[in-house]
Amino acid sequence: MRRYLRSAITPQLLLLLAAAIALAVVVSGNRFFAFVLGITMISILWAAGMNLLTGYTGLVSLAFAGIAGISAYGTVGLVMRCGWSFWLAMPVAVLGAAVVGVLLGLPSLRLKGFYFALSSLVIQTVLSLGFVYFIGLTNGDTGISQIPPPDIPLTGVSFHGIGFDLLLTFAAWLSLAATWAIAHSPFGRRLVAIREDEVLAEAIGIDVIRNKMLVFFVGSLYAGVGGALYATYVGFASPRSFDLLSSLSIWLMVAFGGRGTFMGPVVGALILAPVPFMLQQYDTLKDVIYGALIIAVIVLMPGGVYGTLLAYVRRLPSLKRYLSKQRGGVPNDGSVRRS
Amino acid sequence: MTTSAILLIAISVITTGLVLGVIFSLVAAGVTIVYGSIWLPNASNGQFFLTAALICWSFVTWLAVPIWVAALLTLAVSLPISYLLEATLIRRFYDVPDRNIAYFVLTLGVTQILSGIFSVTYGRWSDQFNLPPMIAGVTFIGPFPMTNNRIFVLGAASVLLALLFAMLRFHPYGRALRAVFQNREAAALRGVNVRAIYRLSFALGMLSIFAGGILYGMAYSFDLTVAWTMAVTAFAIMIVGGPGSVLGAVVVGMVFGFTQAGVSTFTSPTLATFSYLAAMLIILLLKPSGLFSR
Repeated sequence: MRRYLRSAITPQLLLLLAAAIALAVVVSGNRFFAFVLGITMISILWAAGMNLLTGYTGLVSLAFAGIAGISAYGTVGLVMRCGWSFWLAMPVAVLGAAVVGVLLGLPSLRLKGFYFALSSLVIQTVLSLGFVYFIGLTNGDTGISQIPPPDIPLTGVSFHGIGFDLLLTFAAWLSLAATWAIAHSPFGRRLVAIREDEVLAEAIGIDVIRNKMLVFFVGSLYAGVGGALYATYVGFASPRSFDLLSSLSIWLMVAFGGRGTFMGPVVGALILAPVPFMLQQYDTLKDVIYGALIIAVIVLMPGGVYGTLLAYVRRLPSLKRYLSKQRGGVPNDGSVRRS
Repeated sequence: MTTSAILLIAISVITTGLVLGVIFSLVAAGVTIVYGSIWLPNASNGQFFLTAALICWSFVTWLAVPIWVAALLTLAVSLPISYLLEATLIRRFYDVPDRNIAYFVLTLGVTQILSGIFSVTYGRWSDQFNLPPMIAGVTFIGPFPMTNNRIFVLGAASVLLALLFAMLRFHPYGRALRAVFQNREAAALRGVNVRAIYRLSFALGMLSIFAGGILYGMAYSFDLTVAWTMAVTAFAIMIVGGPGSVLGAVVVGMVFGFTQAGVSTFTSPTLATFSYLAAMLIILLLKPSGLFSR
């Protein structure tokens, strides 16, 4: 595994980190833009996790936001009720959410395509109903407000302002580095094999269920970390933040950018996450815009913005020569199936 | 509790269960016909169900037409809507092998658009929507009252279901449709125009969903949340009954209708929704082809 982790220290990734930090510093003067950037960073983290499931493995998981919700409520509960430090509460809640996610998803991992998506939708609906129903833990529809931000260990102060933005930026970058490492590992290639043809993958000796379970667990970790950071960053958690529409939005960021490409979901999150904030008081329009984009992606651009661009650029002869010299290149050219 | 009180509750559960059951069956039949033929899991069925009720409400409220005219007009409106959807979105995927997942996400997108539009339009105009009764008055079944309007809804939905069955069984179109359900290649070889059948089944499915929405609006007052509940319920019925099986949709639809009526009488309707979801998950895990599949 160390070899793959070391492979993550590539010039591209370091450049990405530098760009993200620069962006965070540039917008830090304006709290509104800084807040939008923070949410965008969490969206990038979520999109990276969803990309592992949807893009690389071909599993449309609509319970993603629900799992993020479990972790968010778990973290908030441990911090606000039990007085734990965020840095102790988050890993516990994230692991808990991932285990719950895998347990809930375990039976559905035998299913594929539409039936997997449907059962994940059922799980998401059950979780959403649960968030409202267990008022004692979640405060129901009202939600939990005044959630304290994460503390900086051993100092007694907590993250705020640019410090928190940089924390989110680093978390987003870390998630991308992890995705990069996974995509370039044998595990990542097994996932792509499962996406392309499950029966064939089984035939060449890949344990399909086990690998799906693993990627589901890893994807749930992304969801959980994002959920814990989201609740503490916004300072508010309600069932609306972790409902089916949130899952769909994250799916859309991945698909709009380009499923199964490394940079696609980043592009998707960068474009789509700020949209609700730009609409200001017309924020209900967000649902209409996102819905229209979902349709547009499926009908017109199954490869997504970045995937389509990549496929186009690759056809240019000079780039073809350049890319053929590069070992490995980008793991997938974005020509994913319509799923 | 006295005997008459128990009897009253029992009668109310039975009548509510019957009315809800036939409406559930009608909508689920519409969803299952479309899935059986085109392989399109219509996740936006709940939104179209609500659309129908809202259009009917708009006709009655704004144009002040009698309710039966509004109902017929609403049914007529469903045809251009289905044609438009079929021609712009659905037709493109007829030849894609894994199209059900693409359709599923596509209809989720449609759901999101419609719910976004309704929440800023109808959602701002009113919290609750009521349609005037088709037939006024109350009939006593023994000592127990039931509004004539609900009796009418029960009758109309039953007649529509019977018509649907008769059409599928005896009409040449219906027989061709069932042939496509069973084996589209063989049906094509026998001279069935598969694409025409796809188009027909989509329009027929939408018509059933619209009819269900109108009848629901007549029987009960409704709000915007009914769309989501109906979507989950119709999907659960389709999966449990077996995708493509109209008989399964009707049987399971009636069972779910009585469940809803029974559970709502004693505790929160959320528990009924929980039970549908649980039933759907269990069937998905144990027998994804459903109870009534052939």
